[in-house]
Amino acid sequence: MKVTEMTRDELLNWLDAHGADLSRWPIEQRGEAERLIAADAGARDDVQAAARLDAMLARFAGPGTEDERSAARILTKLNGPLPRQKQPFWRLPAALLDWQFAPAWPRVAALAGCALVGFSIGIAGVDRSLATPDAQIASRDIGTMVFGPDLFAETRP
Amino acid sequence: MDDTDEALMARVAKGDQGAFRLLARRHLPAMVGLACRILGNAAEAEDVAQEAMLRVWTHAPKWQPLAAFKTWLTRIVVNLCLDRKRKTPLLDLDSVGEVADSAPGAREQVESAEREQMLAAAIQQLPDRQRSAILLTYSEGLSNAEVAGILETSVSAVETLLVRGKQNLRRALGGLIDEGD
Repeated sequence: MKVTEMTRDELLNWLDAHGADLSRWPIEQRGEAERLIAADAGARDDVQAAARLDAMLARFAGPGTEDERSAARILTKLNGPLPRQKQPFWRLPAALLDWQFAPAWPRVAALAGCALVGFSIGIAGVDRSLATPDAQIASRDIGTMVFGPDLFAETRP
Repeated sequence: MDDTDEALMARVAKGDQGAFRLLARRHLPAMVGLACRILGNAAEAEDVAQEAMLRVWTHAPKWQPLAAFKTWLTRIVVNLCLDRKRKTPLLDLDSVGEVADSAPGAREQVESAEREQMLAAAIQQLPDRQRSAILLTYSEGLSNAEVAGILETSVSAVETLLVRGKQNLRRALGGLIDEGD
C-alpha cells in the first residue's frame, strides 16, 4: 500500500480546518499527520500553536455567566401571552372539523328548515297565484320577449 | 413523559405553552451566548434570541423533524444574526479601548481581559460566515458537517471558512495567541 506524505503547509490547513485534536480528524489524514509530527519538530510546534488558538477560541466562545442572566430575562418576557401559531394548510381540514359549532346549531337548523319548506312548496306547486289567467299571460309574454320571435329579423340587411 | 426536544416540539405544535417554555429554558443560554458572540452586542443578542424562540413557537405546527431541533434553532439564530450584521457597520479594531482595572493589583486579570477584548474585536472583524463557522465550532463543539448543515453549505466550504477565518485571526492577533498560555 502506498503511503502518502503530508507537507507542513497541508498540516497547517488541516489544523485550521479540524483543530489540534487529531482524534477529530478523518482517519486517513490523521495517520499522515502523526507520521509528520513524529518526524518533524516544526510540525510539532505547528500543532502546539494550533492548540493554543483552539483553547483561546474555546474560552471566548464558551458559555458565560451573562448568558444565563440574559436567558432568564428573555424567559420572563416569554411568560407573557404568546402570538398566534401559524397553521400549515394541510391542517386546515382538521381545524375545520375541530370547530365548535354547538352554539350555532339552532340557527343553522332553522335556516335549513326554511330552505326545505321553500323547496317543497316550489316542487309541490302549492303557490296558486301562478295559475291565474293574468299570471299565465304574463309568463307567456316574458317567454316571447326573452326567446323570440325576432320582431326585426326581416328588416335587417 | 418523553421530554426530548423533538417530543416537546410535537407538544408545542399543538399549542402547549409549558412545553415551549421548557424548550426555551433548555436552549436559551447557549443561543443567547452564540448570538452575543456573533453580534458583539449583548442587547441585540437578547433581541435575536427572543425573536428566534418566538419563531419556534409560531412555526412549530409547520416544523418537520427532518433535522435535530437544536440544529434548526441554531440556524434560525445564526440567520437572524447575519441579517442584523448586514444592517450594522463593522466595529473598528482600533476602537477597542483600554480595560479598566476593576481589581486593583490584578495585572494578570487586566491583561487577560485585554486579550479577550482584542480577540473579540478580531472576531468581529471577520467576514460574517467565517465568524459564524468559528463560533459554531467552538461554542457548540459541532463537527464540520453539523456546521455545514446550519450554514446550509458543504463541509468543504466550512473547512475553507475555518482555514481563512483562523488565518485572518492570526494576522490580526499576531503574537497575542502565544501570550495566552
